[in-house]
Parts: sequence; C-alpha cells; structure tokens
Amino acid sequence: MRKTLAAGAIAGLALAAGFAAPAQAISATTADLSVLHAIPDTPVDVYVNGALTLDDFQPGTLAGPLDLAAGSYDIAITAPDAADASAPILQATVELAANTSYTAVAHLSEAGAPTVTPFVNDTKTTAAGEGRLTVRHVAAAPAVDVLAGGSPVVEDLVNPKEATLDLPVGTVSAAVALAGTTDPVIGPADVAIQDGVLTVVYAWGSAADGNLALATQTVTVGHTVPGAVISGTAGYAAQRDATTQGLWAIGFAALAGAAVVATTAIVRRSRGAKHTV
Amino acid sequence: MNLRRTAPLAVVLMLSACAPAPTPLGAGAPTASTSTPSASPSAPVVDVPRVDSSLRAPRAAVPPVRVSIADARVDVEVVPVGIETGGFMELPVDPAIAGWYRFGSDPWSPDGNTVISAHIDAPDYPIGPFAVLRDLAPATRVEVVGQDGRSALYAVESVTYYPKEALPTEDLFAREGTNDLVLITCGGEFDSRTGHYDDNVVVVAAPVAAR
Repeated sequence: MRKTLAAGAIAGLALAAGFAAPAQAISATTADLSVLHAIPDTPVDVYVNGALTLDDFQPGTLAGPLDLAAGSYDIAITAPDAADASAPILQATVELAANTSYTAVAHLSEAGAPTVTPFVNDTKTTAAGEGRLTVRHVAAAPAVDVLAGGSPVVEDLVNPKEATLDLPVGTVSAAVALAGTTDPVIGPADVAIQDGVLTVVYAWGSAADGNLALATQTVTVGHTVPGAVISGTAGYAAQRDATTQGLWAIGFAALAGAAVVATTAIVRRSRGAKHTV
Repeated sequence: MNLRRTAPLAVVLMLSACAPAPTPLGAGAPTASTSTPSASPSAPVVDVPRVDSSLRAPRAAVPPVRVSIADARVDVEVVPVGIETGGFMELPVDPAIAGWYRFGSDPWSPDGNTVISAHIDAPDYPIGPFAVLRDLAPATRVEVVGQDGRSALYAVESVTYYPKEALPTEDLFAREGTNDLVLITCGGEFDSRTGHYDDNVVVVAAPVAAR
C-alpha cells in the first residue's frame, strides 16, 4: 500500500536535541527523524530512499534521531528477511521541512490495519520550571481519555491524533481510559515532566489482542533560564562597607592629626631644649 | 577577571549520501550503485541508535545540601529552589541558607552548571555568609555535599561583578558544554529607592579531583 503523507511543519523556535547523546541539532537546512516501531509481534526492516537503515527492527523500539537534509523521503517497511525494498509491507513518502523534529510511527489503525504516521514534535522553548507532554494515540482501540492523577487532561483522543500540554516539572501518574470512563486500560504509570524536555507518550498495541501498552520518547527542547538573581534586599553589607571606609578615613585623619601633634611637640621641645640629648 | 565562555552548543551533523565505491574506469566495467530516486536527498546508511521505548524514569537529580569554603569559614545549608513569578531565581529568605536552582544541573549531572545563590543580606537578618564571595582568591577550594552524602570539589577560577541587567544568565545556567559551580550573590552599591543592589557577584569554580 503506497501512501503519500505530507507532514505539516511547525516552525521550531529553539534548537531541538534528540534523546541520544551527542545532541542532534535541527537547523535551517536539516530536520530530525526518529522512527518508532509500534506494531506488535512483527520485526521488520526499514529502508529510507531505498537504503537499508534499520535492520531487524523490533516492536517497541525507538530509533534515531537521523539528522537529514530537508526534502522528500521514501520509507519502505519490509519483512526482516527481505532482500530489498521491492515488496514492502508498508510504504510512505514523508516531506521533511528544515528546522523541524519528526517521529514516524509504524502502528495499527483503529481498525487494526498497519499504517505509518509522521508526527511533528513540538520543540518550542518551555517556560522555566515547565516541561512538555505530548500524548499520541497509535493503538487499535477506540477514542480514549488521558488521565493525570486520575482526572482527564485530554479527552476523546482518536487514532492517529495527538495532544500536547505544558506542565510544571514533576512526576505525573498517567493512565489511558476509554473515552468518558476513568477505569485505566493502560497504566497508571509515572511519567517524568522535565524542564526543557518534551516527553512523548504513545498508546500502542491492540485492545482486541490485549497488548495495549505505553511507549515513550524524550526530545530536548529549548529551556528558559532565570532572567535575574536578586540576592540582596537590605543594604546592610553596603552600609557596613561605608562604615568601614569611614572608620579608615577617621583612622587616617587621626594618625595624620597625631603626626602633626607629635611633630609640633618635637619642634617645641627642640626649640626650648636646654639639655643636650 | 573574565567569565570563562562556554563552548558553542549545536553541531549540525550533515550525514552525506552513501556513495558507492568508485569503480575503475575501464571498458565494459559495470557500475554498481544503490538505486535512489534522483530527485530526493539520499538517506544515510549509518549505525542508527535504538532504544527500548518502554517507560522508564530519567536520571534522578542529586540535590546539593551543603556548600563549604574552608578557607573562608563558610559552611552553608543548601535547599532546592525554583523560579519566582517575574522570572527571577527563587531564593531562601534567610541569607544563611543558600538555594540550588533545581531546574538545572547538580554537581553529579553528566553536563551543565550547578548554580547556588544566597542573599548577601535581607531585612531583619544578619549579613549572610555569601558576603565573603567577593574576597575569594583563585584556586580557593569549594566543596558541595549531595543529599546522598557524596561530595564534589571545585577550585575558584573567577570572581566577577556584573551590573544586574548584564548578568549572563544563559552562560551561568548553561546545561551543556560546562560542568562548573556558580555561586551568586549581590554586591556593589545599594539603591535604597529600589531596595536592590546594583550588581551581582558571581564566583565560577571548576571541578577538581578529590584529594
């Protein structure tokens, strides 16, 4: 099945680095592409523009990021023992825009058919003390609600849609429930929200096969540092400095004054001296 | 004394096309090539990193709990602090207690500066121990103790006054390319109209191996 998917570009305002060290960098001419294998039980080979890029790629594995020149890329997914990309299981053409971070996900549609969806990762700079959470529904399952601490924060999310929230740094107990319910079908599981980091959580697998699961990806995005450090509000130290300087000044004046007195005394004594020294 | 500049951050990795080995020019020699659509850029055939995508906790921070400068008789408790509305670094009210910026790195993070700050003074409190920062000599040893008992040792490299509005926060709070300890307080003239000092006093200390 050949599909042409145009991935809309969201202009990133900051550099995005991939989860792997050394940090990758998107730029005015390049994009980042990660690939998530979210089709259960099916190892595959992945070809990009006809070249074998991921050999024996296992379900539940995240690969990348690849740093690629902006442009059009043909992704072909084959059986793991295929000789080449001539008979793919899945095929998609992805348009990569510069300065953008993408994750291409091989997953099941709501009806259970294998498909590929390219997502754009939101790499905008976060506020100080905040991180970003994106949830993506790539499971063979109907609409879901995403719960944080037991309460829905995203409602009616359908395959293959996503939702994004900026949240305070900390740990969120996240769960996925069928829309309109609060009984988890996946989780709860602790998700760390980190300053300057996009954490993506994928709901994948198949409800019918009973193998629904959560997958995760982190992308370092731009962060905000404090604008200032205000660390003195009374002025006591400055006062102490002024007093110290004042004492020094008095001290010097006193010494100078004492020197004048001493000199005068010596002079007088000399003038009046009748005894020989 | 100048603040040591951090290294440039982003390196753009341009992965070039996988080109076939050049074949010798000779009559009748067939050329082997990978079939790539000519209109599209070629994809890299490199070792692509792969990770298991199951949920796992990230590295846990090791919050500093004490900072000591033996030569200056400074031994100060440290608590984690965040950001105030207005975008200023949060600080403990008491100048005798220092704050570690918890959204940045700690001394045992793989990368990034550890930033610890305390008020030089505050109304109704004695002048704080960080008042001595401006007098620290280069190579003075500074020790930071973590919540789990481990310690990190640093040596002072610079002491710099910055006018408040010129504080190089991006460099001081950097998360990549540097692993220094940054101690910040206030100094310079005090403006009683605003209730603020004119300057920040910044000590930058570099890691040294423990004795």
